[in-house]
Amino acid sequence: MITKRQLGFFILALGLLLAAAVLGVDWLGAGRWGEFGPLQRYGLLFSGLALLVGLGLIARGNRPA
Amino acid sequence: MSRGASRGMRLALNPGVEPKRWQFAPARLLLALALLMYLGYAALYTAYAVQLFRWPYDYDQGEGFELNDALLFSRGEWPYRDNAVYPYYASNYPPLFHLLAAPLVALWGPHLVIGRVLSFLATWLTAAAIAWLVHREVGGRVIPALSGLAFLVSPYVYQTGPLFRLHTTMVLLELLAIGCLARFEDPRHGRRYLWLGVFLLLLAGYTKQLAVFTVAAGLGFVFLRDSKRALLAGTALAAVAGLLFWLLNRATAGQWWVNIIQANVNAFDYLMTLSLFQQWFRLHPALILLAGGYALYELFWDRLSAYTLWFFFALGTGALSGKWGAGPGYFITAVAASALLAGLAGGRLLQRVSARRRPWLEAGLALLYLSYGVTALHLPTDGPVVGRLARWLGVADQPQQLACAAYPYYDRTGYTQLGHWLTAADYQAGAEIMAYVRAAPGPILSEEAMFSLLAGKPVVTNPTQVNNLYYNGLWEGTDLLQRIYDEEFDLIILRAQFYPPPVLGAIWFRYQPVARLCLNGFEYTLLLPPRRLGP
Repeated sequence: MITKRQLGFFILALGLLLAAAVLGVDWLGAGRWGEFGPLQRYGLLFSGLALLVGLGLIARGNRPA
Repeated sequence: MSRGASRGMRLALNPGVEPKRWQFAPARLLLALALLMYLGYAALYTAYAVQLFRWPYDYDQGEGFELNDALLFSRGEWPYRDNAVYPYYASNYPPLFHLLAAPLVALWGPHLVIGRVLSFLATWLTAAAIAWLVHREVGGRVIPALSGLAFLVSPYVYQTGPLFRLHTTMVLLELLAIGCLARFEDPRHGRRYLWLGVFLLLLAGYTKQLAVFTVAAGLGFVFLRDSKRALLAGTALAAVAGLLFWLLNRATAGQWWVNIIQANVNAFDYLMTLSLFQQWFRLHPALILLAGGYALYELFWDRLSAYTLWFFFALGTGALSGKWGAGPGYFITAVAASALLAGLAGGRLLQRVSARRRPWLEAGLALLYLSYGVTALHLPTDGPVVGRLARWLGVADQPQQLACAAYPYYDRTGYTQLGHWLTAADYQAGAEIMAYVRAAPGPILSEEAMFSLLAGKPVVTNPTQVNNLYYNGLWEGTDLLQRIYDEEFDLIILRAQFYPPPVLGAIWFRYQPVARLCLNGFEYTLLLPPRRLGP
């Protein structure tokens, strides 16, 4: 059985990965925009949301997910 | 004692002052109004479907091609073919829906009504299944009935439900799969529910690839509760699905992979996705807010149910809508999931609220369901009953303007190519096009398959399929181009000019337009080879 905390860590990791990918796109020189693109803004928004949900779930402790 | 149990006991011990019967009257009246409104939408949907059953031509551009897939299956042939070889035709969908239609096509011939009835029945079965699942989980009659009918109220379901398209069958199978998996821990029948659910996921995936999000939701739910069983079920599903995939690819000499996977790779337009998400919310706010609120409650304060996970993953299905060939229909899974979850939210609230507050809650829920009926407004604006209603609502003077005709149909979706009712002028235009088709002695090249099928001619190529392959560098069309330059087609019918640019170039270089006819709101251009034009 997966707990809220475990699920929270999973979603937190997804959020961090998404943020890294969004920022890494520019570093790798990929993407269609020279600067920080509009899709990256949405990506960061979603990663921020994932971080919030992840932290919120971690705070719920070992209750079953 | 758990928090939930102590709360339940507190409510049982202190249910509040029992309200008088008359205090329920306003709420019951509002609920009855909502039911009446939803039944009206269901009747309208049925009438729209019945008039479509009579329409022999494509109403939506892909219908005839799906019928052609069923026809090929009925003859024991694969629709996954080499697009470089005459008739340059291949399907880009998995086979299940077309296999369901194939025996009926073999029996009655290639008629669109077969698949339209199947899809229409699938939507009604989905509505019934939503109602039944809500009743199974929270009891009651009115909220389950409203939940099921709410699915049919959606303009997306209305527009695409009675078409010869496989999408709604996939949604039905997805819903049934989730309904089974939700009970996989049942002490008596848990194992049966689990494997039936997995089997239904397999069927949904082999109806349309988009079901992959529901597969993730279903298996994700099992994983949250019993990771060992989830891994076992997931491995079994992957093994069977993979084996079928391999067998199909082998039987079609690799054309399955090309046409099902590679041909579906399109450029992603996030602005289109955002716009469709906004539209989905604008049309279904009450359902989404109820469902979303309940989903958040389960996420943080209760255990996640299969239905909530499905709702979250259905948003992923919607997120894929930003590509060529996709559209609002990609949100039908999300509509089904939100109708179901909104029903669960309403039912659970009614279970937990004190007796004193129950009339207020019932009234609030009724108002929410009524508001959804308003935000999802769609109806023809002429006719004895709906015409008067449209005038009363102030939408009678907002016709649906398509490329070459305006239809007396209002839809809060805004511009939509679907939903309007066909007119005598459309039937007349269809008959005129068919006269050209029947007068052509040889094969024709038509952007819609039905003209060819109705005349007993071969369906030559699928424009959207070869266009996708062309832009993915997988189709050159040399042989087809040569046939066009050699004027081998006795008639060419264009509608949206979906063919790849070289094909369109060859057509306009070699053929002469002889007629432009307005059919179903679109202008059809008919072109003849110069040799048939005479001196």
